[in-house]
Amino acid sequence: MNLLIPLMVIVPILCALFLNLLHKKDRTIKTIAIFLALVLPALPILANYGLHYFGGYAPLIENPTLSNNLPSLITGTALNTFHPAITYSFQSAQKIFVFILGLVGLLAVFTSLFETRRPSGVYGYMMFMGIAAVTAILLTDDIFNLYVFFEIAALATVGIVLVSNVKGNYETALKYMILGSIAAPLLLLGIALLLGVTGNVNITDIIYSLKNGLVNPQNPVLLMACGLIVFGWLYGSGLPPFHTIKSAIYSKALPSGAALIQAFSVFIFIALGIIILRIFSYLPFSQWVILGVSLLAMILGITMAIVQTDIKRMIGFLAVGELGYIGIGLGLGTAFGITAGLFQAVNEAIITAFLFIGFGTVLYQTRVSDTRKLGGMMARNPVVALLVLLAGFAMAGVPPLNAFQSKLMLIQASINAGFPELGVIMILLSIVTFMTFMKAFHAVFLRPKPADLEFKNENIPKATIIALVVFMVVCIVFGLFPQVVTSYLQPLATSLAGGIV
Amino acid sequence: MNLYDLIVKKIKDIQGAGDDAAITNMSTSSMLTAEITLISSILVALVMLRMVSKILMIVAVLVVLLAALVAMPLMPRFKNEQNDSMAAMMFYVMLALAIVITLFYWGNLNV
Amino acid sequence: MVIDVQIASLFTAVSLIIIGIFAAAFLDNLIKKVIGLAFIGDGVNLFLIAMGYKPGGIVYIYLPGMAAEWFSQNAAYPLPFAMVLTSIVIGASTMAVMLGIIIVLYKKRGSLSAKEILGE
Repeated sequence: MNLLIPLMVIVPILCALFLNLLHKKDRTIKTIAIFLALVLPALPILANYGLHYFGGYAPLIENPTLSNNLPSLITGTALNTFHPAITYSFQSAQKIFVFILGLVGLLAVFTSLFETRRPSGVYGYMMFMGIAAVTAILLTDDIFNLYVFFEIAALATVGIVLVSNVKGNYETALKYMILGSIAAPLLLLGIALLLGVTGNVNITDIIYSLKNGLVNPQNPVLLMACGLIVFGWLYGSGLPPFHTIKSAIYSKALPSGAALIQAFSVFIFIALGIIILRIFSYLPFSQWVILGVSLLAMILGITMAIVQTDIKRMIGFLAVGELGYIGIGLGLGTAFGITAGLFQAVNEAIITAFLFIGFGTVLYQTRVSDTRKLGGMMARNPVVALLVLLAGFAMAGVPPLNAFQSKLMLIQASINAGFPELGVIMILLSIVTFMTFMKAFHAVFLRPKPADLEFKNENIPKATIIALVVFMVVCIVFGLFPQVVTSYLQPLATSLAGGIV
Repeated sequence: MNLYDLIVKKIKDIQGAGDDAAITNMSTSSMLTAEITLISSILVALVMLRMVSKILMIVAVLVVLLAALVAMPLMPRFKNEQNDSMAAMMFYVMLALAIVITLFYWGNLNV
Repeated sequence: MVIDVQIASLFTAVSLIIIGIFAAAFLDNLIKKVIGLAFIGDGVNLFLIAMGYKPGGIVYIYLPGMAAEWFSQNAAYPLPFAMVLTSIVIGASTMAVMLGIIIVLYKKRGSLSAKEILGE
């Protein structure tokens, strides 16, 4: 048993609790937050691959001392291989996902400590709790444990919005919670249906039961369970019909908080998407639904993004649109397609965080986020303008940055799978994304400053510039050497496409 | 207003002409781009119906093209639809729930 | 006519969920919406408990003096009950956060009507 695997969830939870207790002691908060945020990306690099059984309860087949005393009613059947404990599984794909989440979390925490007047222990609590919850969602092999941390992540998201002092945040938070309290219990209902049919909540055991004929895979109750879990997935990731409330949430949080919340959405998207593919891929209908929803997300997200005038809502809708690309990769069902989709997810988390923190500097200086009232920021901060320009190029898919590689892989995968129309739509929407970004960049940075624009804070903190430079370095490295990431993702993609666990 | 009145108002809006609010230059270019993007992506996505039946694809593309040309300023209506109000979001969530459950329950018969 | 306990529980659970969704969608007062959401959570918890039903089952506590094989044949399925405990706690904390937000909104805006506060 590798003890570093549960530490990846326990360390952020402990950090969150300490930060909350020490609220108002500025120095201590800064030291603890920076130190533990640095630990976050380091833990997945140091941990070994493997499974972790909470409580040490290994399956009976690996525990001969216990199973020798049991009747053959238990040891002679499939019960011998079932997992009695909550299992966390840490393989190569989880390593890269938890590392990228830790990196985005580190830079978001770092930026938030220096951009607010006093570091807030409560804000740090929300951020670390959210990171712990999404790490657990990525690692867990138990579907009810996933639901528990899914709800914790939703509460942490609402908390981040409530603590940011943006106008209208309470109303948006309440709307998000009301919609969530309809969608999340329906996800639990789907899990209850799965439990009722298969008798298990461990995903590996459910797949075993479905593949080896212990339950009938065409049972209509299982189809209803799939539908309800897909509905819960739509809520957690911000796909239509939840795209408007998700982009409203991004716009009502501070930029560092928004960067972190969008990373949560992306990783919840892939974690639940992978689970739906693992359990329900024998239904060809499930792939069509994933493709359809992703196409809708892409089209609605990017067309809404063009017509926005507020920068944060524009980036929020662009983030929703880019989720659609990931979903198309997952929905194609081939190993190459799934690798491309997961690579796009990793890139999206980094690029959208880069954009939020980059445009967040404009908010920090002027407290205005309406593109009609901004202008002339390039003369004040040429370095930040250059970095934000590179972020926009990255999002649109300009070589040699990272999204170019993943979008190219996605287009190739869709043509190989026999859907060239998807490739055409992806290229069209990338061009429109580029246009949207350039419109916002021109409005904020390039055109002359309007006379009534005042600056509340003169200098951008060095911490923000360091964070932006780190993001840019990661984008360039992933763009020039995509095999650094895809080599980690290929084993999972091959096993998903081959229909094995 | 409650959900029922909202539904009736929506249907009347879709049938009638949209409100002619003045749009500035910057917004006009965005609305035009969004309009073209929306119509072209939907038409290209409909071409995927060729896997079900080629005649269905041709009919669907022609019908949607004509409908879009008739109801041309689509984007202002889409933008008004996807607003932040609780009633509108709740309507779409219920609609999506109904579609997902119906599709999954009856979808297994055909696939 | 005697209805099976499990079918009756499932039917009640589904009715609670439908009533809750109706209340959350159509009622105007924010507190009534939150009560509707509590109904949805309760319905799902009842559904989960009903999944663990075993006709003639005993409580799943292994007392000394019980034969292992008889116990494993007759005990009710304990997993759903553990899940429901966690789910009740999650529901309670979500309700608490929502009601807290409603208190702050009432102090700021002076009204509990969803049309006014959440409508724009």
